[in-house]
Amino acid sequence: MAAKRALIMHSKDNVATTVEELQPGDQVKTAGGGEARSLSAVEAIPFGFKIALEEIPQGAIIVKYGETIGKAARPIPKGALVHVHNLEGTRARGDLDLEGREKR
Amino acid sequence: MSFLGYIRPDGSVGTRNYVLVIPQGLISKSICDFVAGTRSIQTVDHGSGRTANDRERIARILIGLGRNPNVASVILHAASPGVGYPELRVERLADEIAASGKRVEVLDPVKDGGVYASIAKGMQLARRMVQEASKFRRVEVGDENLCLGVKCGYSDTTSGIAGNPAIGYLFDKVVKAGGTAFLGETTEIIGAEHFLAKRAANPQVGKAILDAVAHREALAKSTGLDIRTINPIPANIQGGLSSLEEKSLGAVHKAGTSTVQGVLQYGERPKGKGLYFVDCWMGSYSIFAGYAAAGSNLVMFQLGGGGLAGRELMEGCPAIVAPFMWCTANPRTYEMARDNIDYYSGTVITDGEDPQEAGERLYRTVIDIASGTLSKSETLTHTDPIDLCLEEPRF
Repeated sequence: MAAKRALIMHSKDNVATTVEELQPGDQVKTAGGGEARSLSAVEAIPFGFKIALEEIPQGAIIVKYGETIGKAARPIPKGALVHVHNLEGTRARGDLDLEGREKR
Repeated sequence: MSFLGYIRPDGSVGTRNYVLVIPQGLISKSICDFVAGTRSIQTVDHGSGRTANDRERIARILIGLGRNPNVASVILHAASPGVGYPELRVERLADEIAASGKRVEVLDPVKDGGVYASIAKGMQLARRMVQEASKFRRVEVGDENLCLGVKCGYSDTTSGIAGNPAIGYLFDKVVKAGGTAFLGETTEIIGAEHFLAKRAANPQVGKAILDAVAHREALAKSTGLDIRTINPIPANIQGGLSSLEEKSLGAVHKAGTSTVQGVLQYGERPKGKGLYFVDCWMGSYSIFAGYAAAGSNLVMFQLGGGGLAGRELMEGCPAIVAPFMWCTANPRTYEMARDNIDYYSGTVITDGEDPQEAGERLYRTVIDIASGTLSKSETLTHTDPIDLCLEEPRF
């Protein structure tokens, strides 16, 4: 089966945007952001969602467009869906105190 | 690089040719229902119980819409609940609009002999003014007369990849030609403000961009909530956007690469030409009213729509004087809403279309609509009310 496509916006990115529906085990070939990379999806990822290009440890910065779009709320395996269940925002967090802890 | 427009007495150029009847209310509605070629604005706020700053914002919108080059002449009425406040006195609105050299007529039920008398007088005036306006002829003018405003909404990941970059290409081209372009939505540059700030015309403008964001982010934090429970909105999250920062980084692509000349208040007219950032809330129709009041003669909504499933799509369009275009880069949104979408750039994602060619197609579409071709939403008579972007509590 032909590899499916995902777009990398910037060479520093650790996620790519899928432009086809991915099923677990699908091979993915990236375009943009330097050399094409091959990886396999470890779970279903819908059109327009993000796939992790590498293993991302909990607390690590998630990068798209070469910029911070959030940090990993839990360890994210390579080839996994990156979305609100495992990425948290870092800006305008009224729910966190100055140390980044949840307010009581 | 030109379009066909109406040259107004102050030298500004319109893409449409309306008689505007404001503020909203029975008098305006009655006149607009019966006289072709008229427009009003359906706001839900008259200014009653509003602070001076917010009343001034309302006045800026009314005066700005009256001065908009798409308006040939204006009828104002004095039957609005807010009219007693100094900012909203009908004489003040009339004087500031008339300073642009346009014909301005005022209806006052107290002097006319009641509301019904004002309606009758207004209908007669409006019919004459519409016919008078029809004598304006379109002439060929340069692209420096374009004044565009854009908002991206129901954003998804196609917005940042192809939709907003096409707008950015258009903005660069129009600004290079000496025209004007507005983007806004302060919340939605949080996380991407440094991109705009480093392109500021001078350090004061750069600071104004960062200050606007800091102010809005502090307000957001004061809610005690994670912004993600508010914005990105559910449709953004269902479309694949995971954080406000990701949404913002996609959103700033619509700014293109030009120098940011200034930060404007809602409805404020720029002093010069070029690219401007408008410090305001994201509300779709309110932002377009602000752009039109600042002089926009064409506005665009760059739609993602991945999280919409068709149900909330295309609920209508704002009754503002600037022609309103829908654009999208999402193939599914386009399929669902072909009858409403004026411009599609999803081909960049699905067919590998050169982004520059996609931008050129957008430019040609804008020139066409600016020259008189109706946008798809302009073929509807239905319009939606507009919630103005006011900032302070009401009492």
